[in-house]
Amino acid sequence: MALLEVEDLHVTFRTASGPVHAVDGVSFAMAPGASLGVVGESGSGKSVTARALLRLFSITDDVQISGAVHFDGQDLLRIDERRLRAVRGGQIGMIFQDPLTSLNPLMAVGEQIAESLRLHRGVSRSEAAAEAVELLARVGIADPEQRATELPSSFSGGMRQRVMISLAIACRPRMLIADEPTTALDVTVQAEILLLLDELRRSEGMALMLITHDFGVVAATCDDVQVMYAGKLVEKASMAHLFDRANHPYTEGLLRLVPRFEDAHTGRLHPIGGQPPITGGGGSSCAFAPRCSYAVDRCLTEVPPEVAVGPQHLSACWLAADRAKDATEAGRPWRRAQ
Amino acid sequence: MQTTTATASASSQGSLRGLLLRRLRDGVIVLLLVVTVIFFLAHVVGNPALVFAPVDADDEHIERIHRQFGLDRPVHERYWEYLVGLARLDFGESTWQQRPAIDAVVEALPSTIILTVVGIGAAAVLGVIPGIVAGARARKPFDKASNLASVTALSVPNFWLGLLLILMFGVQLGWLPTSGRFETASIVLPAATLGIVHGGRIFQLVRSATFEEMSKPYVTVARSKGLTEWSILRRHVVRNTGVTTATIVGWEYVRMWGGAVFAIEYVFAWPGIGLLTIDAAHRQDFFVLQAAVIIAGAFVIFSNLLIDLGYQFIDRRIAAS
Repeated sequence: MALLEVEDLHVTFRTASGPVHAVDGVSFAMAPGASLGVVGESGSGKSVTARALLRLFSITDDVQISGAVHFDGQDLLRIDERRLRAVRGGQIGMIFQDPLTSLNPLMAVGEQIAESLRLHRGVSRSEAAAEAVELLARVGIADPEQRATELPSSFSGGMRQRVMISLAIACRPRMLIADEPTTALDVTVQAEILLLLDELRRSEGMALMLITHDFGVVAATCDDVQVMYAGKLVEKASMAHLFDRANHPYTEGLLRLVPRFEDAHTGRLHPIGGQPPITGGGGSSCAFAPRCSYAVDRCLTEVPPEVAVGPQHLSACWLAADRAKDATEAGRPWRRAQ
Repeated sequence: MQTTTATASASSQGSLRGLLLRRLRDGVIVLLLVVTVIFFLAHVVGNPALVFAPVDADDEHIERIHRQFGLDRPVHERYWEYLVGLARLDFGESTWQQRPAIDAVVEALPSTIILTVVGIGAAAVLGVIPGIVAGARARKPFDKASNLASVTALSVPNFWLGLLLILMFGVQLGWLPTSGRFETASIVLPAATLGIVHGGRIFQLVRSATFEEMSKPYVTVARSKGLTEWSILRRHVVRNTGVTTATIVGWEYVRMWGGAVFAIEYVFAWPGIGLLTIDAAHRQDFFVLQAAVIIAGAFVIFSNLLIDLGYQFIDRRIAAS
């Protein structure tokens, strides 16, 4: 029984320059306690997907969402505001990219955590305050009694992200969505935050959906991974499987982007040429075709379907079957290019 | 960590005193500029003797007036005497009221202060709360309707709005007194006029400040915690826009002194410093006019100083805590 089941999710923003299909028919599922990495470039629709699950958009976004998001027996896209608010923070916690702007600058951090506890668990003010201190200690903040009374400005970026995490897990949600949680942080702090997330997921039994543009982050934290491009899922697999048998040419490109020790003597990186489309999906071709070195005529005229290329491994590419065969014969196909 | 915090707050207090001294110095310089400009407009560009002389006065008559007021002496001597006089609060004699000009101004000042304070109170009520709600509900019907109302309010000429209110509530309905300051209710219409005109501007500024705050990431985080829009507004947004709102209201109060209150006092015959100024101009009561302009200028400079310091003080206290 899946905890979260997303079916054919579409998100369209109506803007002054026309509609933008940010998410274009995304379907996936997560089991309780699972860890899923969502990888893609900026503008691939990965953050919008996460926000759409909780319908978290700005008051000025003119946004249309369709599809279904089944969570714990209800469709989050169709329940009323009151029930949705009970899920937000109560059942699903969320962590955002920029810890410097994600906390209210004029409210003590303890109070910001306690606010969530009082709302969802109805505990008293003093109980909530005491529990906020425990939560701060739980995410590794020293001297939590004192720190709970301080404003976010007296915390460093990494510490603020720890506060954000304690806030998101305060009500013991069944799922945690982390939207680029380490992007704004120093590399050493990144590793600490990822370890913390992984440890919390295991100890609390939460499902973790981790959105990132960095394969290294996913590799460290997630069992499963899905790659997004132009609002669509182009490849899904287990993390281990994907590293060995990346099928989609875009995934291949992303994996080449990860700097390799073996390349150190050449000093060479392998960027993917061109730019992702800015208006998202919705076209009648493979969105990646213009940047794809393997593209054939068919890629420009028909949208490729998701094809099973291995156990729990899907790839949306017209060449998926051939490439899967090559991979079995020759191992990691992107390695041969060197 | 503790020591750095301590030194940071100590240095911010030190610079707050420095700031106070700098602002005081600036205020004195501006005030000096104001009185100097007034002096030169009257004594160098114009000729005060012509103000006192009858229309048909001959050259000899004007010469006599010159000697009587000491206008035959060099400009720098007269300027120095003028400054010394001002320092002693000696603004000269009112030619019409036969008493020191400063007395006429001091008598009128409380009326203007009462009117502007009640007026800014009305403006704050009309502008702040609807501004917050409209900013939080941007592009919804309430926002559109109140936006239209506020643009109308700040676009109509204030004297015209005053006359309109007199016609409606004074003449047609007969509910409220329309001129003078003889009873408590007299203040309602002039204060309402000021409140509507300045409330429109306060609304616009508070609305955009709230709107901007609502699009900050921490608001999305608050939403992701499951708070209602109302709680987000009350507990998070208003707390953050509070200082800005207080500053907006402060500036609007100063702007009131810069113009609207003069027209409104005239329309409603409110016996304040605005009406006194216009009367003095009509009656060619030069020293009263001069005293009223200088005192009003000093009041504006002083208010600016208070707002600026208040803002800095609150801001630093927040930063320090």
